[in-house]
Amino acid sequence: MAAKQLEASVRQRPGGSVIDLHGEINGFAQEALNAAYSAAERKEPEVILLNFEGVDYINSTGIALIVGLLAKARASKRRMLACGLSDHYVEIFDITRLSDFMNVFPDEESALTRAGKT
Amino acid sequence: MGPDRGSDKDSFRTVADFALPSEPGNEREAMALVAKAVRDLGLTPARLEKLRTAVAEATMNAMEHGNRYRPEVPVTVRVLTSAEDLCVRITDRGGGPVPTPGTEAPDLKAKLEGPQSVRGWGLFLIRNMVDEMNVTADDVHHTVELVLHLQGDGDGSETA
Repeated sequence: MAAKQLEASVRQRPGGSVIDLHGEINGFAQEALNAAYSAAERKEPEVILLNFEGVDYINSTGIALIVGLLAKARASKRRMLACGLSDHYVEIFDITRLSDFMNVFPDEESALTRAGKT
Repeated sequence: MGPDRGSDKDSFRTVADFALPSEPGNEREAMALVAKAVRDLGLTPARLEKLRTAVAEATMNAMEHGNRYRPEVPVTVRVLTSAEDLCVRITDRGGGPVPTPGTEAPDLKAKLEGPQSVRGWGLFLIRNMVDEMNVTADDVHHTVELVLHLQGDGDGSETA
């Protein structure tokens, strides 16, 4: 079964930078994730939103990659948010406590609206 | 491990038995084949997702740590069911003493602040996705058994 390579692209919104993710977040995703994060950071946003709407699989290596991005964001005093996760991955973000350090929202609009208010 | 589930032919039935080369990405195939094998058991979508995640993680561990990603060394997967339980046994060639699995949750704060590696989520995820995880080994093989209880309240979402 061929893995769906992750595609990651960056958009600027008034509330922050949005990284759109499509495909699988596993060990093969490192390069795409890091490149997108670097592109997002170049705009010096206060908020970086990871949009998982197009993601159908995240494994433990993918969780580790997300932890790595979150660590980078925290080191540069940026807020990282997440949206578009399926119920299963919302539960995994809760179990791993990622959601304690990265607020999780159902969709992009609610994430950026809340980010603008806090 | 508890009772020898596989040898109790009166109560356990093998519904799938397959082998996969130890190559990155093949955990997706394991996940899909197990999901297909259990499709008639009436698992809720939430429980099926958890089982798929546990199978994928256990298969990845078997390919990486047990078989060192040597494609010619297969990971075998056996799916057994009874009226009470669903068992998935994932076996690699990393035999030896059974490691004592840590039961503590990974410390995410320590991972974010640097002292700990960002990795190390696999076993923690597996334990949280299934009702039981049992590990056995002999000189040659290492087996992780994932168990879902099919009766009772193994998952609160099932009765919601």
